Amino acid sequence: MAVLLRRLAGHVARGFVMILVVTTISFLIIRSVPGDPLAARYQKLVEQGMAPDAAQRAVEVLYGFTPKGSLWEQYLDYMGGLARLDLGQSLSVPGADVSTVLFSAAKWTVIPVLAGTLLSFLVGVVMGVYAAIKRTGVLGDLLAISGSLLHGVPQYVLALLLGAIFTTLIPVLPAGGTADIVIDPGFTPDYIGSLVQHATLPVVTYALAGYGGWILAMKSSVVTVLGDDFILAAELRGMKRSIIFRYVARNAILPLFTILALSLGLLFGGAIFIERIFNYPGLGLMLIDSINNRDYSLMGGAFLLITTAVVVANIAADLLYTVIDPRVRSGGEAA
Amino acid sequence: MAPEQSPPGPPGVRIRGLTVVYRTPAGELPAVSGVDLDLAPGTITGVVGESGSGKSTLALSLLNAVQPPGRIAAGSVEIDGLGDVVALGGEGLRRARGRHVGYVFQAAQNSLNPLKTVGKQVLDLGRSHGVEDPRGLLADARDLLGRMGLDGARVLDSYQHELSGGMRQRVGIMLALVLNARLVVLDEPTTALDMITQATILRIVREVHAERGLTTLVITHDLGVVAEVADRLAVMYGGRVAEQGPTREVLAGPRHPYTRGLLGAIPRLVGDIGEARALPGRPPTLADIPADGCVFRERCPLRMDVCETGSPPVVTRGSRSAACHAVRDGDGDRPAVAAATGEDQA
Repeated sequence: MAVLLRRLAGHVARGFVMILVVTTISFLIIRSVPGDPLAARYQKLVEQGMAPDAAQRAVEVLYGFTPKGSLWEQYLDYMGGLARLDLGQSLSVPGADVSTVLFSAAKWTVIPVLAGTLLSFLVGVVMGVYAAIKRTGVLGDLLAISGSLLHGVPQYVLALLLGAIFTTLIPVLPAGGTADIVIDPGFTPDYIGSLVQHATLPVVTYALAGYGGWILAMKSSVVTVLGDDFILAAELRGMKRSIIFRYVARNAILPLFTILALSLGLLFGGAIFIERIFNYPGLGLMLIDSINNRDYSLMGGAFLLITTAVVVANIAADLLYTVIDPRVRSGGEAA
Repeated sequence: MAPEQSPPGPPGVRIRGLTVVYRTPAGELPAVSGVDLDLAPGTITGVVGESGSGKSTLALSLLNAVQPPGRIAAGSVEIDGLGDVVALGGEGLRRARGRHVGYVFQAAQNSLNPLKTVGKQVLDLGRSHGVEDPRGLLADARDLLGRMGLDGARVLDSYQHELSGGMRQRVGIMLALVLNARLVVLDEPTTALDMITQATILRIVREVHAERGLTTLVITHDLGVVAEVADRLAVMYGGRVAEQGPTREVLAGPRHPYTRGLLGAIPRLVGDIGEARALPGRPPTLADIPADGCVFRERCPLRMDVCETGSPPVVTRGSRSAACHAVRDGDGDRPAVAAATGEDQA
């Protein structure tokens, strides 16, 4: 337990530094993007015939603040805000906190991504085991080929294909949004059914895009473990097949947990294409909108969220190892 | 599960005409051909050979566990209380493994699941063999480890990576014996261990063998190991038994030129280091084992015309036998060999 806590502390410290560095870099990058929405709004108001003073005040009222000070002062201001978990004001949604906008979008990304990834992980791992055991047969070949094919197709191509097939050729699924607008939100079967229906295409895309990688990774991992001495040893000791199968599965799945955690972190980034294609209002779509609108604070918040997700996923993966792999555990003791 | 019927004494083993082939692109090639070997009840038999001599394949055959692409093509392995292992399959074979025949892996091999403690793996073994008293099994395991000079409780709580090579080897022996198997196969039990640990392991093998009344087969490339533990010795070359007999007699008066070559290659502690002579040439691989004639003739100092065509007959004299054309005429060939190997070096 002490090992676990010590590792956790180390990871949190490192993760914190990482987040700090990424935040700084993204702050600088975002500020160097040309275009200033406040200036643009001011310009527009003046063009509409408003007096410059009145226009300035109107902008201030609309956004609730005016940026002032040098870049360095703004940076300190921003980091100070972050320390208080204040991500600032959104510029494209006047009057709204970045964190509010972020979290209302996040649920449309996190749940489908999680569902899709876990689905592909489960199916891919099971199929990978079969592909490894039947690797000399036709079934194994078919599974491996299906994995290679799906792994080779880019996510957005899959999304476009699925979208074209199921919304246009065979229009059984809705083409965008999170639910039918005519149905009132609430815990009603209609609304939930509509939610599921709308989420189906994004989730299936995430799942199919991930499946190929899982089946290939699991297959090669299982084949490696099957060749390990301790499996033959277990057979020669007359261990039951079911026990040997568990030995194989548990040893083979270990390296996949790292990939799983990393892919969960990274899928927040990958969601951009999918959400754009299915017009699904998650983080990806929000990020695109915020870039188009030069919504600096929202962009910064989105980057921060993605970074944090990756860092947290990494930490989770490592801690998971500490729990499931005794070799890592004692490695920590030695260090 | 029926109560296990422990055979009254250690089991004997009779291997007859055992041929094991491996499927290769060049067709099925024999790794073991026509081996006859008896393990007398209660004895330790050592099988010595270079890499590729077929000794490990022979060991696996005792459990009918030759791994694909290999298979037992002919012959039988009769074990008292089990019958012909070659005819066994499925559940019957699985139950025989571990319960009747214990197999100890080479120490350098990782024969334990790295993710489970030794104790948990003992329990898995018990579950696989329908042991009704898991606590009793753990206690047996602890006692066995204690008998071999380890802190049994601590080792049972350890993972493989927490154990040294010598400890792993003892854990391997414990796992082979904990179900009370009376026939034990040790594959290279001392390879990759330091000298002190080697000596300890060999002492343990001897003592446990005597205490539990076992029939033991030790596979090794090290004549020293055989000299140390084995009652009987079988020398393998190219998938065949070149010579076998009581260890002392064979080592004192080897009949087969290969056995002589092996003994002549061992450097002595006293005397000139130059007296040790390596056998010329290399052992045959699966692909270049000659189909006809003697497999050893390429390296043999006594090579004759008949060696090219005829398989050497097994000449049995008393409790010893050798498969060599040159041995047929009796023991008068010894000086000839010494002269021949002498020339060889010159």
